[in-house]
Amino acid sequence: MTSSQLLTTHLHDWHVAHGAKMVEFAGFHMPLWYKAAVPEHLATRTAAGIFDVTHMGRAMITGPEATQYLEYLLPTRIQRLETGEGTYSTFCTMKGGIVDDLFLFRLAENEYYVVVNGANRKKDFAWMNKHADGFKVKVANISDITPMFALQGPAAVMILQKLTTTDLSSVPRFSSIQIKLDGHEVIATRSGYTGEDGFEIAQLNVSLDEKEKAVNLWNRILDKGQEEGLVPVGLAARDTLRLEAGMVLYGNDINEQTSPYQARIGFIVHLKKKTFLGREALVTEKQEKPQQLRIGLIMLGKGIPRTGNPISSKGEMIGEVTSGSISPLIKKGVGLGYVQRAFRKSDTLVHVEIGKRKRWAEVIHPKRMLSRLKALASSKN
Amino acid sequence: MTKVPSELLYTKEHEWVRQEDGLVRVGITDYAQEELHEIVMVELPSVGTRVKVGDVFGTVDSVKATSELFSPISGEVVEANEKLEEAPELVNNDPYGEGWMVAIKSSAPDELKGLLSAADYEKFIEGLEK
Repeated sequence: MTSSQLLTTHLHDWHVAHGAKMVEFAGFHMPLWYKAAVPEHLATRTAAGIFDVTHMGRAMITGPEATQYLEYLLPTRIQRLETGEGTYSTFCTMKGGIVDDLFLFRLAENEYYVVVNGANRKKDFAWMNKHADGFKVKVANISDITPMFALQGPAAVMILQKLTTTDLSSVPRFSSIQIKLDGHEVIATRSGYTGEDGFEIAQLNVSLDEKEKAVNLWNRILDKGQEEGLVPVGLAARDTLRLEAGMVLYGNDINEQTSPYQARIGFIVHLKKKTFLGREALVTEKQEKPQQLRIGLIMLGKGIPRTGNPISSKGEMIGEVTSGSISPLIKKGVGLGYVQRAFRKSDTLVHVEIGKRKRWAEVIHPKRMLSRLKALASSKN
Repeated sequence: MTKVPSELLYTKEHEWVRQEDGLVRVGITDYAQEELHEIVMVELPSVGTRVKVGDVFGTVDSVKATSELFSPISGEVVEANEKLEEAPELVNNDPYGEGWMVAIKSSAPDELKGLLSAADYEKFIEGLEK
């Protein structure tokens, strides 16, 4: 695909003008990095980073049966969400496999905002529309008219606070608010894909024809964050940030053959609900216990795990790496992968087979990966 | 501009070779470091390792990928750049100087004749960029 056939975000020309290395991602022409990934990563961990995430898919789900529809569509409990509250979830197939992972926020009694992966936009809207049959509900694709930025890092909330009088510190994690930022209407959600505090901001009703509105807001945020050390961050650091935080990437770490239980995001499944897509398969799987489970890997010495590397123990194959890269925090390789159930426990030592060499790695629960890496990084300094 | 010093020899795997007193020093080219971008880990053989031309003798990791290093010549590794352990970015900053990787005592000096001249290597990378 040549770059002229790719989709562009509102910020595309800004990225190019600021020297970004541009690549294809999810059908879009996106910045991989501006100067370099590792400094962008570390700036997000110590100060703040801003990311163009307009390539992600956004839906507005409305109608008198919006809640019943979502209760059927998702394994997660929706009814109990208060206005503003949000949750992580997945679409599941009848076999319990993951169609996509997503964030959902209840904006009003019968109004929900859903954010899905860019690479799955088409599939997800087809899925949502197909299952909307029989419900009084409307699924609107607002992706093209809602430029979206993520502002992440320990200074993120403080920076954003400079653009609004609404108290942002009182917005709970995974909750949303609709506010004006510098005169622009946005949905701001206290969520992200880095393991740091921050907001994801979708600017409402801004088409590509008025892209300067998005560029203006982006520049205003960057400007306000200058003294805190805010930098623009590309996709390469977005990937290493989520990897250190043990978060899944659809297509690598989860797919239609993996279930939420295998991926160890089973907390999103609420089996007490009597009807939802994939329930029967998930009930069975929970009873029988999944035999392959997702784990985090921290390399003890040299070697960087990469997708597809075998994981072994005492010469026996026990699994495979699904994502891997450098951890800029500890300057060692880190990864995510699946192993046989017996090897899932933290502190288990396994081999990652990289090229012809077997490298020692420590297993850790993906949820505990970032705190472990931060502890390792601070003991090193 | 990609630097291709005229006094060095090159391989199609983007390594450079500098002939020194009785040994050859090896690293990766400016073109290679630019293509790989941020180098975050370099792994080299220990001193005393015997290599044959074409053998994988080490790896270079960037943020996105792992690349193998192929020996341009047969012989014995007599030096390995230990600085790269702590500072792999030297390969990006100074690929022909502080970013050198190994020094090999050649057991078959004739093999040097099979390497590319600077002019040939320049032509080779121009071809890749098209």
